[in-house]
Amino acid sequence: MTAVSQSLGRAPARPGTRAPRSSALRRFVRRRELLLVIITVAVFLITDAVNSGFGTGGYISFMLADAMPLAILAVGQTIVCLVRGIDLSVAGVLGMVAVSTGFLAQDHGASVWLMLPLALGMGIGLGVINGLFVVFARIPPIIVTLGTLIVYQGVQELICASRAVETLPPMYAKLGNDNFLPDIPYMLVPGVLVTVVVALILWRTAWGRSLYAVGSNAEAAFRAGIRVKWVLISAYTVCGMLAGLGGLAFLVHYDSADSQSGLSTSINLSSIAAALIGGTLLTGGKGGVVGSFIAALFLEVTIQAVIVLGVPQVWDQAAVGTLLLAAILVNRYQASGRSLSQALAGPLRSRWQPGHGGAQ
Amino acid sequence: MTLTARRPKSHGALEASLDDAAQRPAVRYEARHITKAFGGALALSDVSVAFEPGEIHTLCGENGAGKSTLLKVMAGIHQPDDGEIVLGGETLHALTPRSAQLRGIYLVPQEPTLMANLSALENLFVGILPRGRLRFTVDWKQMERSAGEFFSQVGLEIDPREPASTLSIAQQQLLECARALAHRCNIIFFDEPTSPLTAREADVLFAVMRQLRERQFTLGFISHRLDEVLEISDRITVLRDSRLVTEMTAAGASRDAIVSAMVGHDIAQRQRPHREISTQPTVLELRGLSHPPEFSDVSFTVGRGEVVGLAGLVGSGRTEIAEAIFGLRPSQGTVLLDGKPFAHRSPHRSVVAGLIYLPEDRGHNGVFANVQLTRNITAAVIPKLQRAGPLLLPAEEREMAERAAERTRVVAPSLEAPMSSLSGGNQQRAMFSRWLLAQPRVAIFDEPTRGVDVGAKEDIYKIIDEISASGIAVLMISSELEELVFVCDRVIAIYEGRPVAEVVGDEITLERLGTLIVGEQAK
Repeated sequence: MTAVSQSLGRAPARPGTRAPRSSALRRFVRRRELLLVIITVAVFLITDAVNSGFGTGGYISFMLADAMPLAILAVGQTIVCLVRGIDLSVAGVLGMVAVSTGFLAQDHGASVWLMLPLALGMGIGLGVINGLFVVFARIPPIIVTLGTLIVYQGVQELICASRAVETLPPMYAKLGNDNFLPDIPYMLVPGVLVTVVVALILWRTAWGRSLYAVGSNAEAAFRAGIRVKWVLISAYTVCGMLAGLGGLAFLVHYDSADSQSGLSTSINLSSIAAALIGGTLLTGGKGGVVGSFIAALFLEVTIQAVIVLGVPQVWDQAAVGTLLLAAILVNRYQASGRSLSQALAGPLRSRWQPGHGGAQ
Repeated sequence: MTLTARRPKSHGALEASLDDAAQRPAVRYEARHITKAFGGALALSDVSVAFEPGEIHTLCGENGAGKSTLLKVMAGIHQPDDGEIVLGGETLHALTPRSAQLRGIYLVPQEPTLMANLSALENLFVGILPRGRLRFTVDWKQMERSAGEFFSQVGLEIDPREPASTLSIAQQQLLECARALAHRCNIIFFDEPTSPLTAREADVLFAVMRQLRERQFTLGFISHRLDEVLEISDRITVLRDSRLVTEMTAAGASRDAIVSAMVGHDIAQRQRPHREISTQPTVLELRGLSHPPEFSDVSFTVGRGEVVGLAGLVGSGRTEIAEAIFGLRPSQGTVLLDGKPFAHRSPHRSVVAGLIYLPEDRGHNGVFANVQLTRNITAAVIPKLQRAGPLLLPAEEREMAERAAERTRVVAPSLEAPMSSLSGGNQQRAMFSRWLLAQPRVAIFDEPTRGVDVGAKEDIYKIIDEISASGIAVLMISSELEELVFVCDRVIAIYEGRPVAEVVGDEITLERLGTLIVGEQAK
């Protein structure tokens, strides 16, 4: 028998066991992060060519800062997607944290640094609630988090009690909108830091490895001795924690918050969209946070481009939705070893095709 | 050949079906030289069987012999690779489940496939819902009027408006029969219908089958219970290793003849290597492990370096026992590891304690299909991987996986290749390497050679041999008796959830195991 070392790098001769064929296009699409960067830059350059104001430093740094709350949420959302879950409550967490920390800052002049552990702690608490419901009540995550989203938003309104956060210490607006280097806003720091740290955790730690295993095949992971319940709860917890951080980022960037924060913007669904566009599969086990981060920037640039090009703002949502659908089709193309047209026709056939059954 | 004359003004197929005169004529249904493979694994090889009207024709054979596949081919669920299907002289091409039903062929599957949330009534007429006057409405009254007749034909007394999910398994099977009748099918196949039924429930089903036989229906049947096979069959065909072995009439059949045809002792040329029977210290011990109705009062031991087999039919509770040991399902009784009780079992705690379980269903319970080989191999030892601070070291992990893969002789394009690109045999080898990395003291292998080719089988036997030689206690479940004879030092026969006999050393023979697993206390 040939040992694995001898056969490494050599394709097995038997048909049916070969790896999916790799066209240049497919290989390119596989590097989702690179593809996204190129598309984002292209959108940027085209828009700049039409409207020269787009390429100025002010606009670039504004977009970088503006994208960060979404980027942080998308990183958390990606973790949950990796374990085959979904978290619809991130906007609720964001809003609740934004108004809670906002009122403390407004009424007591609390500093951002004091608010940071509070935001993270609240996020952890709210995320744990999601995780416990998903794991122990065995309710599908989409239902659990839809429920908690509504509850969290209700609490947010309760906290506001018809007030709004309007006057914050000057430090907040500075951190939320100023640059610490030319064209590089302070806001970029937490976004990049979170992305890099989480990426490293996913890639190089036992916990990260367990996330992928559980998302790929939870039953097999359980039987391999991985504590699936703990992994699931921790995934929702970390997602909640990042949503809390996103809430604080939202507060400093907009320098205000009210009962509609997080709800009025499309940030909830955009975080899912960013994860998917970034190459993470809703079916779990595949993807990463760097793609989600870049996808958040991509969405920001696209939406701003739509505005700059004079398209009415009501088209924002439609743009995000279209990009999302396109990304899902590309995901399927990438996952299958088939041609593009086959991949698109896939769901129409296969399952109900006679003679397709597998087992004897 | 015209089966029925379509009446010009008909409210669909149903109305015709209610007309007794429209019953299809009795017809012979044949498979001729059918060959069928699944991804390289042969399931049927040149099998010819004829089902005659007015007869109950039973297919016998061990698990994986090809019985179900044959019926599925004849019901249009699988397409044969070669050979033809002939209905009363007419060759049928590209049969689908729907076209088979339109021609009067119906397969009652092993697990009823009713739509759980629809009423019994809707399940009965699904696909042929009677239409109202407006054509796009459903004629509920008509449905209710005619349902009673079909229900009474199969002796089913239920409220037709109740959802199918409220019915017992036995009732669901009868409902499947009624559905076949409602669809005017007169060729009905039963794929192991009795395995989930009690003896009394099975008798009800047999009464229905006998009645259909009276009406000159063409009936096919699969069962592992030899007493009921002998009781109800008119004709018995035995399959083994995807081939037809023999066909006999009920008059000429005997238990012994069926068993020896099933296990094929004349074919088993492989000699059981003689092993010394040595007493090694006990590593795994079960004391009265029970979880009725799946299994009860299971007690046995496995010693260091010993290979103990669990023989039994599918559904006899072997996998359930293994899963209970591993902590996948609850049970009463005690499991002892090295003499110490091992309570509050879970897969995680088992793996940590050195008890591992290679599952029977590799696809669902074992592999991470889209994940690279390396990570598949190291999945059970993630906490033990080398690391610097909190960070894992990919190079070391890769090397570890490579060594493990070499030990079980995995052949793969690369260690980064996704698991799904490997053949079944190599996936199984990779599963063995995963579990060997966990450095177990007790290894449970559930159908370790299922879905692998012949060459890989031999290799897996060798791996199991090496594992036991290294002092690991091995508990092995297999439906291939030959494999148990070849590999095991001791075999425990399980019948309907209970250990019925223990066979040691050279007493392990195909004939002995073959009779024990069907509940016959031979000798």
